[in-house]
Amino acid sequence: MLQSIIPLAVDALANAALIFFVAVGLTLVFSVLRILNVAHGSFYSIGAYVAASVGLWIVGAGLPDWLTFPALLLSAAFVAALFGPIVEKTLVSWTYGKSEAVQVLVTFGLFLILEDLQRIVFGIQSVYQDTPMTMLGISEIGGIVYLNYQLLLIGLAGVVLVALRLFITRSRTGRLLAAVVADREVSEALGIDTQRMFMIAFTLGVFLAAIGGAMATPTTGVAPGLGADTMVLAFAVAAIGGLGQVEGAAIASIIVATAKVLAIYFAPSLDAVAPYLVMLAVLLVKPYGLFGSGSTRKI
Amino acid sequence: MAHRTSIKTLLAATALVTSASVAVAQDKPASLDVGVFTFMSGPAAAYGMPGRQGAEVVIDMINAAGGIDGVPISATFVDEGQGAEGVISEYRRLAEEPETDFMIAALSSGNCLALAPIADQMEMPTVGWNCDSHQLFADAEHPYFFRPNGNTIAEFMAYVIYFLDNNPDVERVAIINPDYSFGHDAAEIVKASLAAFKPEVEIVAELFPKLGSSTYQTEVSRLSAARPDVIFSNLWGGDLENFVRQAAPRGLFRQSQAVFALGESSMNNVDMPEGVIVGVLGDGWWRSPDAAELGAPEFAEAYQTKFEKAPVFPAMKMANAFMVMKAGYEKAIEANGGAWPTDEQLTAAMEGMTIDTLTGSMTFRADNDGIVDQVVGMVGSVEGIEGPVLTNMVRYDGDAVLPPEGEDPMAWIASLTPDFIAAMPKPGSYE
Repeated sequence: MLQSIIPLAVDALANAALIFFVAVGLTLVFSVLRILNVAHGSFYSIGAYVAASVGLWIVGAGLPDWLTFPALLLSAAFVAALFGPIVEKTLVSWTYGKSEAVQVLVTFGLFLILEDLQRIVFGIQSVYQDTPMTMLGISEIGGIVYLNYQLLLIGLAGVVLVALRLFITRSRTGRLLAAVVADREVSEALGIDTQRMFMIAFTLGVFLAAIGGAMATPTTGVAPGLGADTMVLAFAVAAIGGLGQVEGAAIASIIVATAKVLAIYFAPSLDAVAPYLVMLAVLLVKPYGLFGSGSTRKI
Repeated sequence: MAHRTSIKTLLAATALVTSASVAVAQDKPASLDVGVFTFMSGPAAAYGMPGRQGAEVVIDMINAAGGIDGVPISATFVDEGQGAEGVISEYRRLAEEPETDFMIAALSSGNCLALAPIADQMEMPTVGWNCDSHQLFADAEHPYFFRPNGNTIAEFMAYVIYFLDNNPDVERVAIINPDYSFGHDAAEIVKASLAAFKPEVEIVAELFPKLGSSTYQTEVSRLSAARPDVIFSNLWGGDLENFVRQAAPRGLFRQSQAVFALGESSMNNVDMPEGVIVGVLGDGWWRSPDAAELGAPEFAEAYQTKFEKAPVFPAMKMANAFMVMKAGYEKAIEANGGAWPTDEQLTAAMEGMTIDTLTGSMTFRADNDGIVDQVVGMVGSVEGIEGPVLTNMVRYDGDAVLPPEGEDPMAWIASLTPDFIAAMPKPGSYE
């Protein structure tokens, strides 16, 4: 019995890790800026493209292979630094205080622009760089061979979750973000630079999306359309966990991934719809998600 | 009064004769404008772009040789990545333009199923360059739509014959196909063929991941746990490449014999292990003995010069579609006494036509479905050739693996027995 449950658990956690990076960034941006950023998935795919391109350059230039590991992180940081402040200060800040429909339309417009930008810059052919995966090798768990890189992703997702919680509760900037989330008007009255907080939160969200994309590249070719697929799944996770809930995003990622894995193992025809069936079931019972609330918000 | 009536009659007769003479002496166009539909974006572009590149090369070759009866070909490319609605509206828009003469559409079977009735409605001669769903001509006649391919029955049954010959002890088979009609049809054909040829085979897993999926790790775990002797898949393009990238390092292809129906199109992009069974959905392996005699090496050389890589079978299928169009025009021109043909004369000439393409012989049946041979082999290497090639090949006669016209294809498969396989050529017989 345990022999058959362990592979299910490993698969579910490995799937959840990849989804979590994107979903937690989405939910973080929503909790602080109160904007559902439809373009969030584009930062995932841009992070993937940049990481794959940098990795290919490192290998092509004959540099040590281990450099491809920090390159994943630095690529995500580069994407966040390049897009985060500019996009927030221009397009996104323009939508503050406007209706949700306007916010969705503006970020959807941004999504379309970024998708075309990727086609222009990176072309339409799949880009792939697998050095980090091949360097780490394989392990056998429960009679099934796994990539050690998959196990690394699970660990990294846990590190990101803990780091985010520590950042929010222990760091000054994190506590200021939490204050803005709790009550924006009171925060402004107390002298907190909310505009700066918005920029920090948005850039952090971009970074989380980009690191998700970057970490996916060693096992997946990057091609146009990757961002849209990821985004839809992230929406489901955010809805199940409750928009604005960091831990909610983590648990929802595991729930969605488990639903998908169970479908693949036992009801393959439900594979594609399993995450959304779970979302439907959760929202019927808890309309604000498992950890969300209609009246109070927390980060 | 009688005189006036006779003049009217004369004028009417003159008009009739004039219009009739227009019908049989269509003006030769300055260029032959062709709409070409393929995937140029999204994961499917990994399959669709070689098709476009094949079109560019074969157009250059035909035009360099004087075009078709002196008329150069000019192509307008349409991206199928925009979705079915966009493809249909683009087809209609192009077909309504008076300068459009011919369509080569499309890659996706779904798009072909949608476009075939429109081709008939708009009386636009069209060749489906890749679409191979056996449903295309199953319940409808399409006088303006031609498909110079084998259909899915012939294509996937050929793989079952091959792996049953190659792996005679097979007991457990798993299937992983994309979640749309192409994938589900293939699964049904494989299961029906196994039921006919080796009914004791058990299907231990049947997975249909979403088209365009980027991660297959759970599917790999599921397949590993099922311990199949053979894994059949008609994943293609970026999907196939991602599956191979994720499954190969996890040892799946050491555990099970993999069969990738569209594998040849990806074996230059991804590190596909030697021994994997792959094919070309038809006869479009440009290095095959038949292709070597038919101009494929010259096409491949031009392709290599232009794109710095060898062509894969989507490029050959596209090139062959242009060869079919060219042969159709030439036959129609000859039948028309050297005059440029009307669309009706062109389609009439193409009916039942037999031609040599760049990779083999193709004959249109009465239903406009093409009969082509099926080439299947294994990924391997040959000294002196850079990159992977097909080895241990077999070439199945197109007629032998295609259900008779008008017969229910699944009923036909069910009527076959293991003796059918015994009469087939064996892997390694075509080198």
